[in-house]
Amino acid sequence: MTAIFKREFLSYFRSPVGYVAIALFSFLSGFIFYSQFAVGTVDIASEVITLRSFFVVIVPIITMGLLSEDKKRGTDILYYTTPVNLFNVVAGKVLAAFALYAIMFINVIIHIIVTVNCGGVFGVGAMGTIIVFFFMAFMFISMGLFASAITDNQIVSAIIAFLFILITQLLSVISEYAYTASYSIVKVLGVKADAATSFANAIRKGIAWLDPFVKTQDFRLGIFSVSSLIFLVSVGVLFMYLTFRVLEKKRWSQA
Amino acid sequence: MIEINNLVKSYGDKKAVKGISFTVNDGEVLGFLGPNGAGKTTTMNIITGYLSSTSGSVKVNGHDILEEPELAKKEIGYLPENPPLYTDMTVKEYLNFICDLKGVAKEKRKNQLENIVAMVKISDVYDRLIGNLSKGYKQRVGIAQALVGNPSILILDEPTVGLDPNQIIEIRRLIKALSRNHSVIISSHILSEIQEIADRVVIINRGKIAAIDTISDLSKRLSGQSKLLLTFRGPVKDAITKIRTVKGVSSAVSRVVDSKFSQIELTIGASDTTETRVGIFNLMAREGWPILELRSLDPSLEEVFLSITSGKGGAKS
Repeated sequence: MTAIFKREFLSYFRSPVGYVAIALFSFLSGFIFYSQFAVGTVDIASEVITLRSFFVVIVPIITMGLLSEDKKRGTDILYYTTPVNLFNVVAGKVLAAFALYAIMFINVIIHIIVTVNCGGVFGVGAMGTIIVFFFMAFMFISMGLFASAITDNQIVSAIIAFLFILITQLLSVISEYAYTASYSIVKVLGVKADAATSFANAIRKGIAWLDPFVKTQDFRLGIFSVSSLIFLVSVGVLFMYLTFRVLEKKRWSQA
Repeated sequence: MIEINNLVKSYGDKKAVKGISFTVNDGEVLGFLGPNGAGKTTTMNIITGYLSSTSGSVKVNGHDILEEPELAKKEIGYLPENPPLYTDMTVKEYLNFICDLKGVAKEKRKNQLENIVAMVKISDVYDRLIGNLSKGYKQRVGIAQALVGNPSILILDEPTVGLDPNQIIEIRRLIKALSRNHSVIISSHILSEIQEIADRVVIINRGKIAAIDTISDLSKRLSGQSKLLLTFRGPVKDAITKIRTVKGVSSAVSRVVDSKFSQIELTIGASDTTETRVGIFNLMAREGWPILELRSLDPSLEEVFLSITSGKGGAKS
């Protein structure tokens, strides 16, 4: 695992990808921090929460080449023909992208230091949002890695990762649409109004339940719920496992 | 030692490999011949664990590639058709990465890499980016990669494809040197290449073994069907009848190249080429027909297949 991690992490800095991602993150976080700082009310928690909405751009950039490039170059053969475990390959790649995220996050740490030194507050709520930030980063990176495993084209991989993350971010909106849609469909089929409402409600609740942003919103208030972190980790591990299965399947491929 | 038993790989309805069995003994160089699409690469991919077979087994020094993959893979160094190179790394970084992957212990690493680098002669590009190397050097780095971890078996898939003649000779020399302390499976679709390096040949066609034989036996079997190409000036009909009387000639097919100068090209089937060539020369000299060209046509792989599959050579196994 460390071999893969080392290679992938260093390869971010052998190509523009690592620099682009870091520059983008620095710009965004710097911009957010500056606009808060300029008006005199710095809120690290809100900065971190705003930065979460850029997962959708940054994660696809850093995950798109992780596996698709291997397939294109033919270097994936090394994972199958050397005594290395495929799950370690997946874990090493996730870790490399995660480490890059950690490096980007140094920006925020600098902002925290500046804030505290200028008499600002860095409270439990902000701490909570940072914890959530990293768990989410892990989850989205796993999704991005999965997207990278199912294609040998970086662009396609980036688009798929983008869609995965976008859909996850829009789950509450989607749940509303699902409510209206399922209500009208069931209504057309001739179901009574109450039954239709409760059915549509169940669907809305079901989809909204998946929303990691709603699940973790209390962290900002200093209320840490381990179950929602476990949810994020589970989704991340699920996508790691799916990636592993995609890699395994290639060996057994019959088509 | 590799034991391959009744290997089958199917892709949907299509069977790429249909029940291949053979063994590679310790210290042996086995040539793996076949036209493109015969199943060479698929078979090699299965042996190395890149693909899984639909049925059949591969045992590497007694370790089944599916049941004990880690032990089996430690014994194998594989150079695929396209060397798995990271173009963004230097040779040094790349080989160290391969050491990590293959789990080469830190204290052994330096010594081992030094040996490999000296053996495949890449010390002058050791600190350069792989992406900037020539094809020949890339191939060498690919071989170096296969050698990391000191495997007892090397599997090389068409190692000379796309190289210039000088590089081909160098790579062949390198493989010969390596065969002193490794078992080698080398695939190719060029017969002469295998002839130079291998002790034994497995010929496969359409996913099946067409022949397994030692090089000398194979050439003996084939020498019965050697061909000569003769270009001369003279009368067609007369020449053909007379050439057919030369000892060893079994057939003669003509093609008039230039009717104005009555220049004729003949493809002659002959059993013993040296003797027959002398006979033909004497005939031509007697008749006063100037020879413009006389050479033996090496049997092409296609002809080898034809002769083997048509039953003349016949699979011995």
